[in-house]
Amino acid sequence: MKGDKHEEPEPGPEPAAPPPSTDEEEPLLEFHHSYRELFQFFCNNTTIHGAIRLVCSQHNRMKTAFWAVLWLCTFGMMYWQFGLLFGEYFSYPVSLNINLNSEKLVFPAVTVCTLNPYRYTEMKKDLEELDRITEQTLFDLYKYNSSNTLVAHARGRRDLRESLPHPLQRLPVPAPPHAASRVRRSDSSLRDNNPQVNRKDWKIGFQLCNQNNSDCFYRTYSSGVDAVREWYRFHYINILSRRQDTPLLEEEALGKFIFACRFNQVSCNEANYSHFHHPMYGNCYTFNNKNNSNLWMSFMPGVNNGLSLTLRTEQNDFIPLLSTVTGARVMVHGQDEPAFMDDGGFNLRPGMETSISMSKEAVDRLGGDYGDCTKNGSDVPVENLYGTKYTQQVCIHSCFQVNMIRECGCAYIFYPQPRGVEFCDYRKHNSWGYCYYKLQDAFSSDRLGCFTKCRKPCNMTTYKLSAGYSRWPSVTSQDWVFQMLSLQNNYTVKNKRDGVAKLNIFFKELNYKTNSESPSVTMVTLLSNLGSQWSLWFGSSVLSVVEMAELIFDLLAITFLMLLRRFQSQYWSPGRGGRGAQEVASTPASSLPSRFCPHPASPSSSLAGPATSLALSAPPPAYATLGPRLAPSGSMEASSSAHTPGEP
Amino acid sequence: MAAGEKIKAKIKKNLPVRGPQAPTIKELMRWYCLNTNTHGCRRIVVSRGRLRRLLWILFTLTAVALIFWQCALLISSFYTVSVSIKVHFQKLDFPAVTICNINPYRYSAVRDLLAELEQETRGSLKTLFGFSEITSRKRREAESWSSARKGTGSKFLNLIPLLAFDKGETSKARDFRTGRKRKVSGRIIHTASDVVHVYESKGLVGFQLCSNDTSSCAVYTFTSGVNAIREWYKLHYMNIMAQVSLEKKINMSYSAEELLVTCFFDGESCDARNFTRFHHPMYGNCYTFNNRQNETILSTSMGGSEYGLQVILYLNEEEYNPFLVSSTGAKVIVHRQYEYPFIEDVGTEIETAMATSIGMHLTESFKLSEPYSRCTEDWNGVLITNIYNATYSLQICLHSCFQAKMVEKCGCAQFSQPLPQGANYCNYRQHPNWMYCYYELHQAFVWGELGCQSVCKEACSFKEWTLTTSLAQWPSEVSEKWLLSVLTWDQGQIKKKLNKTDLAKLLIFYKDLNQRSIVESPANSIEMLLSNIGGQLGLWMSCSIVCIIEIIEVFFIDSLSIVARHQWHKAKEWWARRQASPCPEAPPSPQGQDNLGLNIDDDLPTFTSALCLPPAPAAQVPGTPPPRYNTLRLERTFSRQLTGTEVPAES
Repeated sequence: MKGDKHEEPEPGPEPAAPPPSTDEEEPLLEFHHSYRELFQFFCNNTTIHGAIRLVCSQHNRMKTAFWAVLWLCTFGMMYWQFGLLFGEYFSYPVSLNINLNSEKLVFPAVTVCTLNPYRYTEMKKDLEELDRITEQTLFDLYKYNSSNTLVAHARGRRDLRESLPHPLQRLPVPAPPHAASRVRRSDSSLRDNNPQVNRKDWKIGFQLCNQNNSDCFYRTYSSGVDAVREWYRFHYINILSRRQDTPLLEEEALGKFIFACRFNQVSCNEANYSHFHHPMYGNCYTFNNKNNSNLWMSFMPGVNNGLSLTLRTEQNDFIPLLSTVTGARVMVHGQDEPAFMDDGGFNLRPGMETSISMSKEAVDRLGGDYGDCTKNGSDVPVENLYGTKYTQQVCIHSCFQVNMIRECGCAYIFYPQPRGVEFCDYRKHNSWGYCYYKLQDAFSSDRLGCFTKCRKPCNMTTYKLSAGYSRWPSVTSQDWVFQMLSLQNNYTVKNKRDGVAKLNIFFKELNYKTNSESPSVTMVTLLSNLGSQWSLWFGSSVLSVVEMAELIFDLLAITFLMLLRRFQSQYWSPGRGGRGAQEVASTPASSLPSRFCPHPASPSSSLAGPATSLALSAPPPAYATLGPRLAPSGSMEASSSAHTPGEP
Repeated sequence: MAAGEKIKAKIKKNLPVRGPQAPTIKELMRWYCLNTNTHGCRRIVVSRGRLRRLLWILFTLTAVALIFWQCALLISSFYTVSVSIKVHFQKLDFPAVTICNINPYRYSAVRDLLAELEQETRGSLKTLFGFSEITSRKRREAESWSSARKGTGSKFLNLIPLLAFDKGETSKARDFRTGRKRKVSGRIIHTASDVVHVYESKGLVGFQLCSNDTSSCAVYTFTSGVNAIREWYKLHYMNIMAQVSLEKKINMSYSAEELLVTCFFDGESCDARNFTRFHHPMYGNCYTFNNRQNETILSTSMGGSEYGLQVILYLNEEEYNPFLVSSTGAKVIVHRQYEYPFIEDVGTEIETAMATSIGMHLTESFKLSEPYSRCTEDWNGVLITNIYNATYSLQICLHSCFQAKMVEKCGCAQFSQPLPQGANYCNYRQHPNWMYCYYELHQAFVWGELGCQSVCKEACSFKEWTLTTSLAQWPSEVSEKWLLSVLTWDQGQIKKKLNKTDLAKLLIFYKDLNQRSIVESPANSIEMLLSNIGGQLGLWMSCSIVCIIEIIEVFFIDSLSIVARHQWHKAKEWWARRQASPCPEAPPSPQGQDNLGLNIDDDLPTFTSALCLPPAPAAQVPGTPPPRYNTLRLERTFSRQLTGTEVPAES
């Protein structure tokens, strides 16, 4: 209010022509002296289209009512549209983009495994007992007489058989009712789909019991081959976990397994591969892994610009009952992803040249509100036991292992071993088989919640493989090829193709597809749409809202000041208050504009409006105008109706 | 002339060109802010209080900045595409299918040309690996060859000797021919230290290639002797075949009747006439089915293996070149009509004594070209000359680019690609050291150093057939006997009885007749962009294009003219002062003299004034109290009455 003094000498604070001389000292903040003045100012200068008609044209009821209806309609329309727009935005729609990129590609990591975990000669000591019992079982069940000298041990058969838990049994098809469990039932129901032959009235299986033998069930198989293999595998896992020593890394294994390796016509070197041992698939060599010094790049598609390997697939020293396939297993995966040979492998046939052509496909999902995916797996409630990049497979396997450790107290050998936990072995954990198969059942029916906990990664790269085969080496060239291999790589089999295989992995095309998501309604388009709607129905803008805010602020401030002044005039010194009132009173008198809108207080008809209002306003308003009680009800109405609508 | 003057005068009279309505820029701004429809501006002037004014300036500037930012975002994302995937079910055109034997020429036919090379290869095998004469059925023949050629010197090993490197000793190498050690200069491409799998072997095998002046040499070593021999053989083979004429090569290769034993398409029989031949330097005669030769593209009416192409191929394993190719089979490539089949790069091998079923699924892709992505429909805009007689594809461009570089750098063209104009194939009679050049260049090419990958753009539309392969043993044990004898009878020209390892069966068919099309379309159109920009303008400031024009008018044209006028008056004053003594009575022209617009805009168009129309008559109704002095003054836009300016309303 300190600005009053300054304003007074000015001829008129009419808003249309504010003081031109700004160099003159201007107060920091000025307030209007009355509500009327404030509303006049507002009506004069506001930019809200509907409001001005509604509030500032009051001398015509008809018009006012008409404008009010119109205004309400547009207001409703606008908010309805706003609701639709916001609803669309907050449903987070995505649009799919497919980009076809063509550029040089990072060659993926390639893992090749021997399909034979251990040399039979090295494992013979551990497996001796198991093999003997298996052969005995085969003899008992199928009258298969193995060539091995079992007869010598015929005496000890019974005793030996006792030494291994979970013996393989032949079971009649109507399952023993006491042994029925959920797992079994699901198994048998599955198996019942197979057409049953008379011969197969018997099923082969083995019994698994819990800790105190109170609950037992049978794992049964309709095919004896499956049963024997699964049973053998089960025991083999136990034996493996007992072998505490790390599987010995054969120094020359790569040279013995991979005869030749070339990438982009250039020979590979030691920096290009890493080695690990898989309990089922044997020695695995991963080429072009992430710890590779420089990653292989493909600048050209085609078989000459890829990885070419010559592999030994000779089938000597295989564990006879474990490995029923021969060849090699290859898998293409991304760098820094573990090779799940079980899940995504490709078997190679011996005596063949297998050409695998790849095409890359990448998927980029939008995380956050737009979809259920995880950027790096840090927000997934499953500990990553592999220590590699997050993939869904890694998470699911880790989840199973964690559950296994919690439920059964030991770690499954095919999944990584956390610190301080030992692998399952029925000598130490006598009921782990029961526990494992139960857990497996719960896992596959997602009662463990692994599949819901493990979310998809947002960025995924997949390689689509397709293979072509040709015979290798050809009849005419096999002589010299075998000769060379035998000389250079100690290849022993001659004139027989089965011992070698060739593998070419290459990119079929350099353009790869990227399926990416993008938000179909962005903030920018949302704002644009809001602005369009706003302009269409209302013609106001964000700045109009600021105007409204200013109006409300001014109203509050004026009210406060008036109350203060009234308080001052009533209880303080009346003389001072009167002088102040006079000061104030002079301003509205002079400031009444000649061509302003009719006075809000005058409810007279529109035509006579200006004249009467002028006539009314001509005499200097009394001091009482400042008082709230004399503030015309019309202006109060205006204020109430002005700031509610203007708030979009 | 007079008429022209008249018109000119008339125009001048009717369309008076006036200057801006304010004498100074400050006034102009004030005038603009009061009169514009853009929100915010008016508040800057009408608000009372410095803080208020400052806040309003801030608000307005923020709104302007937001508008600019959002519009920039809108414009920058204008060239985005949206993708639609459609699946049609329709009768599909069968693609072109090219079939090649892996072995390019009948060995019996090319043997004359390659005899010397073969002999030397065997010789070096013997020296290198102690490899005694082969035990195959060809022994007798080979012996006769070798005895016949005994006298001639080994010219191939002379040219490019095969070298064996001792372990860890890379600078010294044993020359096979002479047996003496020789110093190998130049860089070793793969040093033995980091080579993994040389264990029991006698070390590395490789060959040395030198440039023209033999100053720079490169030694190519191979960890496996098999690869070394094959590469070495291939080099010489290319040299020899480069000198053979095309007709002769075609004759040496397989004929269509020979390769295709039976043919069956869409339930109807077909034969060799349905295939067109094309000669590939490394794969010999290849045969393309459905290559639009007779202007009709065959199509399949049904999906499934019965309605596709079924052929039985005769791949005579006996006639295979033992050193050039080490595998047996045929290569198949599925491609578009008029597209060049890159059999060496892509293509699916099929195996002998097997029935290979290839199921296809068609995906078509259409991309948007230039402003959206860097792709091209044809050779326009690609600075490479097409050496293939085929439509544009990235592969063709890359190979053309390489061939062009090869001709430029090495002076001759590489054997396995078509010949550009005015060049001929490399052979070491004319270009003795082309191989070094080629190896260097190819290395650079593969590693992307030649710039071909950046010059060549991808094609905008392409068809892709996803293939699913499955294998079955063929012919079956029981059907083998009759099948083979019938096929032998069919194939009258072949004297010998067919063996099942010489035959391969191939079935190519559409898995289903669903065609997937991936079509890109512009995500934004001009209308969308305009409406979005309009939305932004409206949202923040309620501005419009008219506002923008207004801003341009006021802020650029008017301001400039004011500045110019100001300068002009200054200059005039200065001139007058300089010539002050001759005519001091020259009145200084007032600044706002020509500002006739003043009297127009004293009537401020506010909403109120617009509402209270007509204000002027009402105000001048007789009997109205005379307007007071200060209201009158207020009506003037500019408080300072300029000298010489007249306000007609008052006078």
